[in-house]
Amino acid sequence: MLKDCVTNIKDSFETGVHTELRCQENKARSVSIISGNLTGNARSEVSGVSARVYKNGVYGFSSMAEVSEEAAKNVLRAATENAVFMDSRINKGKKMFPAMAPEAITCPAFESDPEQKVYIDFARELDDYMEKNCKGITGRGISVRVDSMEKYLITNDASSGHTLIPRSYIYLRMTAETPDGTPVERFVPIGGFGTFDTLFSTPDKLFAKVDDLYEKLMQKRNGIYPEAGVKTCILGGELSGMLAHEAVGHTVEADLVLGGSVAAHTLNKEVASELVTMVDFAHTCLGKPAPLPVYMDDEGVICRDQVLIKDGILTGYMNNRETADRFGMEPCGNARAYSFSDEPLIRMRNTAILPGTSTIEEMIASVEDGYYFIDTNNGQADTTGEFMFGVCMGYEIKNGKLGRPLLDTTISGVAFEMLKTVDMVSDTMTWSASGYCGKKQPMPVGIGGPAVRCKITIGGR
Amino acid sequence: MDKLYTLTKTIIERLKALGADMAYCTASSGETREFNVDGGEFSLFRTLFDNSLTITAFIGGKKGSVGLNSFDEDKVEEACKNCIAAAESSTADPAWALAPDCSEKTFTKGAVTPDLNKLFDRSAELVDTIKRDFPLIVIEQMIVTHENVHSVYRNTSGAVYTKDAGYYNFDLMFSAHEGEQGSSFYSSGVICDNLDKPAIELGSIRKDLEDVQKQIYTKATEGKFVGTMLLCPGCLHDFMGSIVDKFASDTTILEGTSIWKDAIGQKVADERLTVSFAPHYENVVCGQSYTTEGFIAEDFDFIKNGNLESFVTSLYIANKTGVARAKNSGGNMVIEAGEKSLDEIIAGIEKGILVGRFSGGDPAQNGDFSGVAKNSFLIENGKITGAVSETMISGNLSEMLNNLVAISKERVADGYSVLPYAAFDGITVSGK
Repeated sequence: MLKDCVTNIKDSFETGVHTELRCQENKARSVSIISGNLTGNARSEVSGVSARVYKNGVYGFSSMAEVSEEAAKNVLRAATENAVFMDSRINKGKKMFPAMAPEAITCPAFESDPEQKVYIDFARELDDYMEKNCKGITGRGISVRVDSMEKYLITNDASSGHTLIPRSYIYLRMTAETPDGTPVERFVPIGGFGTFDTLFSTPDKLFAKVDDLYEKLMQKRNGIYPEAGVKTCILGGELSGMLAHEAVGHTVEADLVLGGSVAAHTLNKEVASELVTMVDFAHTCLGKPAPLPVYMDDEGVICRDQVLIKDGILTGYMNNRETADRFGMEPCGNARAYSFSDEPLIRMRNTAILPGTSTIEEMIASVEDGYYFIDTNNGQADTTGEFMFGVCMGYEIKNGKLGRPLLDTTISGVAFEMLKTVDMVSDTMTWSASGYCGKKQPMPVGIGGPAVRCKITIGGR
Repeated sequence: MDKLYTLTKTIIERLKALGADMAYCTASSGETREFNVDGGEFSLFRTLFDNSLTITAFIGGKKGSVGLNSFDEDKVEEACKNCIAAAESSTADPAWALAPDCSEKTFTKGAVTPDLNKLFDRSAELVDTIKRDFPLIVIEQMIVTHENVHSVYRNTSGAVYTKDAGYYNFDLMFSAHEGEQGSSFYSSGVICDNLDKPAIELGSIRKDLEDVQKQIYTKATEGKFVGTMLLCPGCLHDFMGSIVDKFASDTTILEGTSIWKDAIGQKVADERLTVSFAPHYENVVCGQSYTTEGFIAEDFDFIKNGNLESFVTSLYIANKTGVARAKNSGGNMVIEAGEKSLDEIIAGIEKGILVGRFSGGDPAQNGDFSGVAKNSFLIENGKITGAVSETMISGNLSEMLNNLVAISKERVADGYSVLPYAAFDGITVSGK
């Protein structure tokens, strides 16, 4: 049992240092069907125990691929030795960070773990439906991805307890050709927080999603390339969520601030139009559960929301306990580790721009000559805030009306300049939690946002 | 007897007893030692003791796989049963196969035993050298590791491959700053099997630091022009990776969406271009020894003198589609050097861009790409005239290979690949 190997060890913690001991299991189940061929069919379970010790401004960390009390004692000893080694070579002499009021965190169990056949049969039925009903496509793919992270954490001076984040997704993909033979693709993730059986009852409930994907792909076959240059456009919620995460979120992670991100010089300054407020939500957003709720981080900090931009002003960074102490801020529970063998890093949880007051219809009607960019398949950003997103679905807007669909393109800009051009924000928002954020370790995160009207650079020949 | 040798023998026998007619497994134990620098300061020392076990079984052409990181007897037995259950739930496909007639082999690669004190000293020396020689550079993060792995691969075709491998790795992410002005971040790294030289002299670390220090003050490109794109070695690797992905990978060959699907033996690039995947090439550290199907990894030419020689396809895809399988899994890219120096290539470019990093969307299936040129410089009349920002580049991957201008005679060996600079014409460069 994960719990048993760490709960009795606290007496072994060394005094005068900060210590975390974590026992964790990550599970993954996957099935892939490419154009009718079952190419992937795998299950994995990775578990172990790790310890991190903070001494005089440096950390020691150690992990073992074994779930036992003996392994827990071994990693505790090794992490302490590593902290002593680093302290002896570096000699920073920093003080401990402030103690916290400890709480005990528990979470419900998610017992369901279907056998592989359940995923294969489900995917196979969707594939059969695609093959029969989607005429004219040149390729199709279905992937089932189910993963979970379960942790027991013990700390010497913060909270301790049990957390579990299960996630289940089905990814549908289709390719077709334009009239001149150019391949085009559409892709949609379906799913969210929870076990497979709680999110997906029967395949036929997803047939409408397949139909919608097919219809949009057929539209896209006859799409046009948008004109390159700067235009007034509407970014849908998928794109504003990507912007919130990639182009703003990373720049306000305190470790990247210390590494020289643009946000090092913009705290308490105007970085966006006053219509823009952006929050990294812990577990609840606007009265509803956030897509991937996080209740306690891996330093034992009880999670709460971190407001990053309030009415256009940059108001805070995301921190771990050490950087919070350095910046004079409160830690909000952003220190997260992906695997048992990973140390906690400053990570986002559920990062979103908040909705405004305009309807999407009003926003479209307000654009004379521009584009409505709806969906993205890729996004990258720099610590300067310069970003690039791939756009894989959208429409032109002419005289306030949606026009022809678009072929793939890219959009780019500098976040804190582009956000100042936002002059309309929609009253609804879209969440997505199907991907991983990459930063030394992967991490499941939620991203969200409303549609925003802004000026943006469009790439192309 | 080696514990992993015995464990893999037990697993293969157990899978056969449970009904598998074909199977393979890999058991590995490894240790990682890692120093981290954050914001220019040493922050963390990690030691990891890890195990890994992957098991794949086939029953009548039906495949199932499981992975775990425990060698516990009960868990291994459960994993064997889960693997068989997964295979039984699968769909029969006669294209699944293993290498025939394998044998027992032993591989030893790299530096298996670390010199930890020297690794720390080389890390500290690198931080100090950067502070001294590149005062405007901020190390956002530096991760220095030594990893070693002892593994045994075994399959039902008679393969028993015992491998001991170890290497050092220096990975840096950095940017340059002056006052409130800062450059884009850049990553540079190497893997190596010894610590004989200071890390700053390895790969392109020194050159990358020099370049980034010149990128603090940038100019947005005005308007649009069609010109020459000169790719730095790391960026060339990324472009070639997209070319493999879109035109030569398993998925694109299986779906028949590659525009090169019928081009084996045909010209797909300028005749000066030769691209290989070469795990045994000089300067490659810890290259692939064998494939998961049990084939001993060999070097192969992907493109030779401009002709497409091989796709980067697995045995399954080869059996499925009738193409030849690739002789390794497609790592360790090596591109043959050209005849001109980098300076000569720059001197010959009338208008173009030297691209250090490309931040682009996933290219379209036909090879169209567009994205932002990061860590890049404008070239005008044969000279670098300044760093750029907010500059997009677009073109087509296939057309680009046929519009090769030059390949440099200088190449960067980072332990993983050996790559030159390469310039291509017909690229659209656009700004505001």
